[in-house]
Amino acid sequence: MTYLFDPDNWEWVITQNNFRFILEGFLVNLEIAIIAMVLSLIVGLALALARLAPWKPVSIAAGTWIDVFRNLPLIFIILYLSLTIPGAWPDAYEDAIPGWFPEGLQSGRVLAAIIGLVLYNSAVLAEIMRAGILSLDRGQNEAARALGMSYRQSMRRVVLPQGLRRMVPATVSQLITLNKDTTLVSIVAIQEVMRHGRIVTGANFFGGVQAPVLQVFLLIGFMFIVVNLLLSRLSRRLEIRESKRTAVGRVKRVRGLEEQAI
Amino acid sequence: MDGLISVLTDNFDEWLAGFWVTLRIVVIAFAIAMVVGTLVAAFRIAPNKLLQRLGGIYVETFRNIPLLVLLFISFAGFRRAGLDIGPWEAGIASLGLYTAAYVAEALRSGVFSVSKGQIEAALSLGYTYGQAMRRVVFPQAFRTVISPLGSLIIAMIKNSAIIGVSLLALDDLLKTARVISARGFQTDEAFFWAAMGYLTLTGLATFTIRVLEKRYAIHR
Repeated sequence: MTYLFDPDNWEWVITQNNFRFILEGFLVNLEIAIIAMVLSLIVGLALALARLAPWKPVSIAAGTWIDVFRNLPLIFIILYLSLTIPGAWPDAYEDAIPGWFPEGLQSGRVLAAIIGLVLYNSAVLAEIMRAGILSLDRGQNEAARALGMSYRQSMRRVVLPQGLRRMVPATVSQLITLNKDTTLVSIVAIQEVMRHGRIVTGANFFGGVQAPVLQVFLLIGFMFIVVNLLLSRLSRRLEIRESKRTAVGRVKRVRGLEEQAI
Repeated sequence: MDGLISVLTDNFDEWLAGFWVTLRIVVIAFAIAMVVGTLVAAFRIAPNKLLQRLGGIYVETFRNIPLLVLLFISFAGFRRAGLDIGPWEAGIASLGLYTAAYVAEALRSGVFSVSKGQIEAALSLGYTYGQAMRRVVFPQAFRTVISPLGSLIIAMIKNSAIIGVSLLALDDLLKTARVISARGFQTDEAFFWAAMGYLTLTGLATFTIRVLEKRYAIHR
């Protein structure tokens, strides 16, 4: 305890650029998380629709794909991709990335990390979306079809707006998990917060003050807690606003979904 | 194809050892998660405001911190602080305490899913509070808790891989795959068999949960 709160052990935070250095690493994590979130939501919706497609081969193929990537460890996927991705891909990525993108994302190594995050999270999100859509009363789709809507129209106008609203809480928990999982990309040698933490705790990096490992990673953990708590607050706000706007009262939660996101 | 089979058969003892390490991490960490999780859940539903707050803080802290950060704190951090903690203890404790937060939430919502009338009815029948809990509330709560706990075990199997590649370097399934792939430059083959190992574990867990769910389902 005395070691933990000893001011000497916290001196590194205010010494020169240490704190800024950690924060810069953390921003790289957030940038990767945001890109992976957007892509995962898009791919996840496509997978969920393919899984629910009325044509059997497509549905079975999508289901197998989802089940495989949902059940493999994310770190396994990232590690495998980083070892086997063709060398031309990162080069193409480095050429293609616009110059105004943050510096942390310019390196081609980020590609394996982002592909891995998207492969895993899109599979989990697809399963959440599928359950959200299936939880909807069948009569909704049948009524829409009976009114003369095509399959696509019924999906877009009736089923998806209601089904997707139900999966907001589960999706947010998965996005929080994704945010935490961005720390795993440090094994692909991307300069993000875990790397920066280790650099700072290495031999006298900045200003000749040795940064103790425990305190550095406590600070990093604290940063994640703050951002993730904000995320879950935001989702609760959204839920309340949405239920007021649509006047449907409390949105029904889909049971057994929240636990998917760990 | 021959290469694929030989990567498995030539290193069979190593694969088995890796599989065993992963399994052991998951089982022990799950035991810790259940014990701590039950305690935290009890805190959260206790009639005491202070205990409720403490339970809440535990859940929010461990649920929102990355497991990798926990591993760094519990292994490298404590070691540098002068605490002699081994990779096994640090890894299992981190995974267990991390999952305990989720277990606590699952148990809490399980107990709340049993309607209040059930306890009142049991009490009015002359049961004591303990009897009512044991004979009426828990059997019903257990049913709703099976599937979330199952998802937690599957998540633990996946999260255990993080312990193997981080600085703790336990020789689990993923570490074994790395070692074997580095030795013979057979990355695809080695990772294929590791994937099979993980899918076997998660598949077995999924199957067991389905059976349990069916067995304890409410027949109406």
